[in-house]
Amino acid sequence: MSNIQADLHALYDIMVTRIPGPTLETLYMVAVSTLLSLVLGMILAMVMVLTGPKGLRPIAPLYVVLDITVNVLRSFPFIILIIAIIPFTRWVVGTSIGSTATIVPLTIAAAPFVARIMEASLLEVDSGVVEAAKSFGAGNFQIITQVMLKEAMPAIVLNVAVVAINLVGYSAMAGAVGGGGLGDLAIMYGYNRYEMDTMLAAIIVLVLMVQGIQMLGNFFYRILK
Amino acid sequence: MIRIEGLNKRFGDHQVLTDINLHVEQGDIFGIVGHSGAGKTTLLHCLNGLESYEEGSVKVMGQEVRDLDDKGIKLLRRNMGMIFQHFSLMNRKNVWKNVAFPMEIWHMPKNQIRERVDELLELVGLPEKSHERVGNLSGGQKQRVGIARALALNPRILLCDEATSALDPRTTISILELLDDINKKLGLTIVLITHQMEVIKMICNKTVLLDQGVIAASGETEAQFLSPSPALQRLVQDEYAFIPDGVNIRLKFPRHIAKDAIITRMATDLGINFSIVGGRLERYRDHVLGYLIINVKSQDFQIVTDYLRNNELFWETVQDEQHPS
Ligand SMILES: Nc1ncnc2c1ncn2[C@@H]1O[C@H](COP(=O)(O)OP(=O)(O)OP(=O)(O)O)[C@@H](O)[C@H]1O
Ligand SMILES: [Mg+2]
Repeated sequence: MSNIQADLHALYDIMVTRIPGPTLETLYMVAVSTLLSLVLGMILAMVMVLTGPKGLRPIAPLYVVLDITVNVLRSFPFIILIIAIIPFTRWVVGTSIGSTATIVPLTIAAAPFVARIMEASLLEVDSGVVEAAKSFGAGNFQIITQVMLKEAMPAIVLNVAVVAINLVGYSAMAGAVGGGGLGDLAIMYGYNRYEMDTMLAAIIVLVLMVQGIQMLGNFFYRILK
Repeated sequence: MIRIEGLNKRFGDHQVLTDINLHVEQGDIFGIVGHSGAGKTTLLHCLNGLESYEEGSVKVMGQEVRDLDDKGIKLLRRNMGMIFQHFSLMNRKNVWKNVAFPMEIWHMPKNQIRERVDELLELVGLPEKSHERVGNLSGGQKQRVGIARALALNPRILLCDEATSALDPRTTISILELLDDINKKLGLTIVLITHQMEVIKMICNKTVLLDQGVIAASGETEAQFLSPSPALQRLVQDEYAFIPDGVNIRLKFPRHIAKDAIITRMATDLGINFSIVGGRLERYRDHVLGYLIINVKSQDFQIVTDYLRNNELFWETVQDEQHPS
């Protein structure tokens, strides 16, 4: 057998034996944290759009507090955030290691990011359309949910892809502190034991995952547009 | 129907409306005409509570608008339809859903909505477009959808903010005919603001001329044109060459280029403000050419013209006829 064949064979072995478990873990972390951060971030975004300076019902103090909170959370380096909120994570899930525990910092890191980009997408909606909705008596909540969300939907779908891809990266980073998933695998074998094959395999799967998410996002964007 | 007395409106320390008094009666087509920035939109917004006012009284159907609570404002708006210069339709809904939307907001029963939408699309002459996407319609058709939507809740007053300014002359006429028709058939009171004299001449029975936030002339439209006031003469004579300050630039585009898109893009790209002074589509040999006149501050003149040149648009500066430079 030639060298290349041997290499490929070894890679294949790794793909079958070591990869599937961590891949599922990563998918699990990314899926759940995307979902949770979307819910949290979207609520935040809606409140900010409502109370912002050009909002439907400006409430300056509330907006300023939210605005600063979002900025502060976003400026935390993720690895620090994980460690800083360990007590909170323990309190929520009972432990601070493993993939379920990682979902907590992932969600907290992504929610403000979601809030910011969703706020931007909602504000992007033509102000004339909002004015029209007001002109026939739509309430603020109706305007946000039935006009702004509806009109911004294509942009929102692309944003969801961006968030999920960021979370793939973050979840890999969480591997450094025992977070589970593909990042954990890559660090354990590649960094600690110099087993480059395993690291390579993990990276290939991560790349495919990011690619897949982006394609999915683009696909839905085209359908909605 | 509408009675405004001593209305003053400020944005910060910028006085936009000064001592406005006017009276719109049931069945009027009431025109408010004036240059860009005269305060027309602001005045219209005071009528349905989209804008607040501090001094004076605005009574619509007997109610003081300022005194209404949230619920009251919503009910007032239910009785006042509104149409817009840029149509303001929801791009992600089709024609039918756009017209149905106000009724959904008011939780009307499904079968009633269905009946009403079909009836309205018939009225504005678009029954076969009901499943078309809004983006595929022409400007005139979009405005027809806008009108159908504005009438959905059976309002008693229709507010029109530059409803024909984005349309070519022939389409303008057909939309005005539709409005006139609605006024006669449904007995709807219409308040219409515009900077186009032709619009006023064609359908308004009463007109006020708004000049820098002050009513410069008012009365029956015919009487105003028979013995025009100096303010009206000024407006008629130099519709587009009136330059308050800054420079007026005439942009020209072939019809297929979306002028709104260019204008909005330019505003965001350059981060400056300019106002649209006028515009029109003109027949030129076999084509229709459109132009739009914008007013830019003198200090912005250079960057705006650089931008136009880089984007390969045709333009020229417009001379003020009274003060040729
Ligand atoms: N929200 C606002 N805050 C501050 N100034 C405003 C606001 N809205 C309008 N203005 C100012 O009030 C004046 C009148 O504006 P308005 O939109 O009522 O004019 P208009 O007659 O409708 O003009 P156009 O024909 O360009 O639509 C302008 O000088 C404008 O800059
Ligand atoms: Mg206006």
